[in-house]
Amino acid sequence: MEMTVQKKSVVNEAEQIQLAMQMIKLGARLQLLEAQTTLSRERLIKLYKELKGISPPKGMLPFSTDWFLTWQPNIHSSIFLNIYNYLVEHADVKGITAIIKAYTLYLQQIEHDSEDEPTLSMTRAWTLVRFVESKMLKMHTCSCCGGRFVVNSYDLNSAYRCNLCHVPSRAGKTKKAKELAYNVVAMTA
Amino acid sequence: MSENDMLNDIKDANLNYLMLAQQMIRADKATAIFRLGINKDIADLIEGLSNLQLLKLSSSNMMLARFRFEDSAILNMLTSYTKDRALAHAHAAILMSGQDSEVIV
Repeated sequence: MEMTVQKKSVVNEAEQIQLAMQMIKLGARLQLLEAQTTLSRERLIKLYKELKGISPPKGMLPFSTDWFLTWQPNIHSSIFLNIYNYLVEHADVKGITAIIKAYTLYLQQIEHDSEDEPTLSMTRAWTLVRFVESKMLKMHTCSCCGGRFVVNSYDLNSAYRCNLCHVPSRAGKTKKAKELAYNVVAMTA
Repeated sequence: MSENDMLNDIKDANLNYLMLAQQMIRADKATAIFRLGINKDIADLIEGLSNLQLLKLSSSNMMLARFRFEDSAILNMLTSYTKDRALAHAHAAILMSGQDSEVIV
């Protein structure tokens, strides 16, 4: 994800603004915009306010790899990373373009409706790619289904079984899931 | 359905597939490559087909697109998901994107 130093040109700036807008619409945090575009912080804040109507959230980005290994986040992270790897390997795209395209495809895969937050946010997707590039996380093949899933590089992963072949007994049984189930029953009854 | 109807339907499906694929590739190549499960060489080729070539290619008696799951064990597992439709969907997405694309050898 290197950013070459470019001469100031109107065309280049327009491209950078387009890129920033795309990322803001997908829910990217300010730190991500700063890292991936050549625009100044002030301009990015202005752009963010214009598009979202609110100031960008302050505070640090999530920095722990653990989140990606818990049950539901792991499934979502694995979907995203599989798509990302496919694009990088076969479609000749890289860097932030690949992340944006993969993230858009991920949202479509999980049939996300714009009402609630997707499990994996744009910022987390970007963080995930950086964790994999810095070899803190990696992909590992499930011994049962052959699918590739996100795992911790330093865990012992011989005979690894994924979260979908081996669903933990309490997985997914959240309050929200229960409510959803009730709704479905009510609708089909 | 008579044999003849079936062959015509196959040609129809072929033409539909090729036209859709071409549209997808022209709209956004990278995304199309993922959705179709093909590689860049094939995408470039389909993108450049003329209407006449498209028509010629589709008027075959055999299906041009083929099934994306080649492993019967995986297919069996995905179709017999009893608990949660969303999970089956997620699992299928991971397995499909983890597969290699079709390549021209």
